[in-house]
Amino acid sequence: MARYFLPRDLHPAAWWVWALGLSVAATRTTNPWLLLMIVAVAGYVVVARRTDAPWAMAFRMYLYLGAVIVCVRVFFRLVFGGAEGSTIILRLPEIPLPAWAAGIRLLGDVSAESLLGGLYDGLRLATMVICLGAANALANPKRLLKAMPPALYEVGTAVIVALSVFPQLAESVLRVRRARKLRGGASGKRVAALHAIIIPVLEDALSRSLQLAASMDSRGYGRAGLVEARARLLTGALMIVGLIGVCVGVYATLDGSTPRFLAAPVLSSGVLVALAGFRLAGRRVRRTRYRPDRWHLPELVVAASGIGVAAVMFVTSTVNPMNLNPSLITLSWPALSWSPLLGVLLGVIPAVLTPLPASPHVPAEKVAA
Amino acid sequence: MSRVLCAVAFLVLATAPPAHAIDQSKGHPGYCRDGTGVTVVVDFQQLGGTTIVRCNPQTTRGTGLDALKGAGFQIAGVQRWGEAFICRVENRPSATEELPVKGRDRYREMCVDTPPAAAYWSYWHAGNNCGWEYSQWGVKNRDFSAGGFEGWSFSLNAGADTNPQPRIAPVRPGTEGGGCNAKEEPPPVSNDLNEKQPVQGRQPGEQQRQQTEDTSAPQPGSPTSAALPPPKPRPSASARPSAPNPADNVKFTGGEDAEDVTVAIQRQSGASDYAPWVAGAGVLALGAGAFFVGRRRKRAQES
Repeated sequence: MARYFLPRDLHPAAWWVWALGLSVAATRTTNPWLLLMIVAVAGYVVVARRTDAPWAMAFRMYLYLGAVIVCVRVFFRLVFGGAEGSTIILRLPEIPLPAWAAGIRLLGDVSAESLLGGLYDGLRLATMVICLGAANALANPKRLLKAMPPALYEVGTAVIVALSVFPQLAESVLRVRRARKLRGGASGKRVAALHAIIIPVLEDALSRSLQLAASMDSRGYGRAGLVEARARLLTGALMIVGLIGVCVGVYATLDGSTPRFLAAPVLSSGVLVALAGFRLAGRRVRRTRYRPDRWHLPELVVAASGIGVAAVMFVTSTVNPMNLNPSLITLSWPALSWSPLLGVLLGVIPAVLTPLPASPHVPAEKVAA
Repeated sequence: MSRVLCAVAFLVLATAPPAHAIDQSKGHPGYCRDGTGVTVVVDFQQLGGTTIVRCNPQTTRGTGLDALKGAGFQIAGVQRWGEAFICRVENRPSATEELPVKGRDRYREMCVDTPPAAAYWSYWHAGNNCGWEYSQWGVKNRDFSAGGFEGWSFSLNAGADTNPQPRIAPVRPGTEGGGCNAKEEPPPVSNDLNEKQPVQGRQPGEQQRQQTEDTSAPQPGSPTSAALPPPKPRPSASARPSAPNPADNVKFTGGEDAEDVTVAIQRQSGASDYAPWVAGAGVLALGAGAFFVGRRRKRAQES
């Protein structure tokens, strides 16, 4: 038991499975109670299990982004035709449009039903974005890239370089600002100050990337090896077609109103094509991993709790669709039944039943002892 | 932030008046008494349930949707098209009832996309003492005729030629035997979803109500298709159906004792009165918990 709770970083893929489970659950419902519950669960787990890494501190940004999404959705209902429904709460002057813009309405009467529809819709999208933010905050992207299949090695290298750029830029800005302060330069106009920061930072970034490129080149990164151009074209085409198929299939599976032949058939064939591409590409790349992350019991608990939330939502939505998508025929408080609510609460398990993240300040030997 | 927004929305909600199955404050039960309003007939056909006849005494111009709502019926559109496609009338077919649709095992109407052609509300209209005619127009695209009838009849496993007419003769009591003098409606001339029926027989000076319509308005006659098919040729004036005999009417009510739609939905969905309170308390508890846990972890790291 004590061994189970020894502080360590969990496998990043487990956090991604958990967060994707929560966001899949969010796609099934527009009930504001359930959506707020999902946001609260994700936020609690993030606060309880995040590290000090720069990507973990960005969760707040996702919360702001979610709020912006909700506001924009409601605002658009206000501007473009919010008259669906009978309870008019706001009468705005309608702006007449020429005949070729028929079907578009600017301002005019706004009904409570359409505003609520926009709110519920926006809340759903915001919840999904916040769930992805939770995954970003909890999963270490560098270790996630380490666990990637060898076929994605080159892409992974590019992504990791891109990921490490942002913290470096921030660090560079801080350094240049501190240097300016120490020099005691004229703290005059803001535009001039910006000028004096941006140019050194950009110069710094450029020289750094040139240095990185040179060092990677000397270590043999980016070597294509002895692979025929035709084979590379084939694997590239297979992967892209497969991934497009997966995207279309996932969309159709989650959206109930798309034709069914786009769902399971396209998804499965896309997965097959992409796997074939991975296989072909992986055959020519041989990589070994240093101390690979392993899946232990806590990882399984995390993944299972996310999958459990999504599964409960799928099962209950075939039983009682009405309180998952509150009706807007008549204005009333959205109803809620127990099963989806308790299902969402499954998502909070990782906040309790996982080890704390390893503290970067404590040497690994001390923790192990 | 989103929590605050939600709270504001609920405040708006809480001040809204309670809804009833049939809004008795709108319209009145039974046929219209004179030639000004429009009588709305809702025939549940094979869904079961007593046919409802109500009058919308509206004297101004209005669409088929206005007629239905003004008579006090509670309707639901589909999520994809909004109220341009009537999916439920008086919560029928409800999300919990299984419809015996041919070829769709255990079909239940979720009102997400256009309902299947084998199970949908067919839209009819008739002048007084005329025969029922299947509407070639969408519910938001045609105007009801004053003194006439609007019919809604659930079409289950019926073809384009066998859609069941409402089983109430479109004849106002006291006007039996009178001739049909309603003008025939022109069919749509384009595939434009927003095409409006031309206004007939109105004084040019009459104030025309500003139409506030949604962009997507498919015709109820064309279910399960994203693109609208071209209008079907209609029977000529000589082939117009004649009025059925009012003696063949089925039993009907004014919907006075219909169950409250909100209550019915709550019962059917298995919702609990306490669950929203628990959800709200849970959200607050998790928020407070996150605050304290975050502070504790921060202190632990600093020490």
